[in-house]
Amino acid sequence: MAAISEEMVLLLALIALTILLSMGVLLARDNFFSAMYMSATLIMVASIYAFFGIQPLFILIIFIFVGVTGIVTVALAATFRSEPEKASPGFWGPLALTTALIVAISLSTSLRHHPESGMGVIQFELGGFLGNPGYILLIISLTSLGILLMLSVLKMIGGVDECR
Amino acid sequence: MQIDALTLSALYIASFVLLLIGYLTVISSKDLIRVLISLELMFGGVFLSLIPLFTSLPNSAFGIALISIFTSSSELLVLIAAIIIFDRKNKGLSTGLVRAGGERT
Repeated sequence: MAAISEEMVLLLALIALTILLSMGVLLARDNFFSAMYMSATLIMVASIYAFFGIQPLFILIIFIFVGVTGIVTVALAATFRSEPEKASPGFWGPLALTTALIVAISLSTSLRHHPESGMGVIQFELGGFLGNPGYILLIISLTSLGILLMLSVLKMIGGVDECR
Repeated sequence: MQIDALTLSALYIASFVLLLIGYLTVISSKDLIRVLISLELMFGGVFLSLIPLFTSLPNSAFGIALISIFTSSSELLVLIAAIIIFDRKNKGLSTGLVRAGGERT
């Protein structure tokens, strides 16, 4: 049996920590702690990107997803701190099992028929990405989308004065 | 780092587990904030499943990741605003207060 490399051990530790923190989201009774666990999980997801050498996405996930959305969610959960009502998830077992089975079958089929698919060395260069004008246009369009959406949201809420 | 079959499987399994936990969180609570939190968790699972794409199409994968991050965060911020408006109208955040489209009290 091939020995597992140190890098693989580190990756498995990162993945285990991510799953443990996400379990906190499910098990925490208070929404505030649930939101904190969610932010920590997303930081671990970003760390996995950093582990593979994709630092630009690490920064984007931390800044946009954790820094903006995550913090606003934490603030929202801290403001509305009522005891959440729990529902009884009746049929989740068979549904989860079926989904796991579908994922396992598709993964094994993919590995059997396309053994090299998704495997290899990650060689991402931010310079190569930004050198393409099409991608610059994409970034500008997405930023405009975000600004327009936020303006619409402000209008929906009733303006800045209403938020005070 | 080289992505081999073991790494690929570990990434996909982690992605699936995150999605499953997010899904379980949604169906085990009757709270809109918990729904928002679990949606963000599910997006985390989606981001994990994108990593293998960087081996064959790095630039396209980065573009897809950018689109996912921007659109999902915009969507979540709109959802946050919707939750605030919902609370103003209904004085509560229970999913039991959500009615079907067009239904009136």
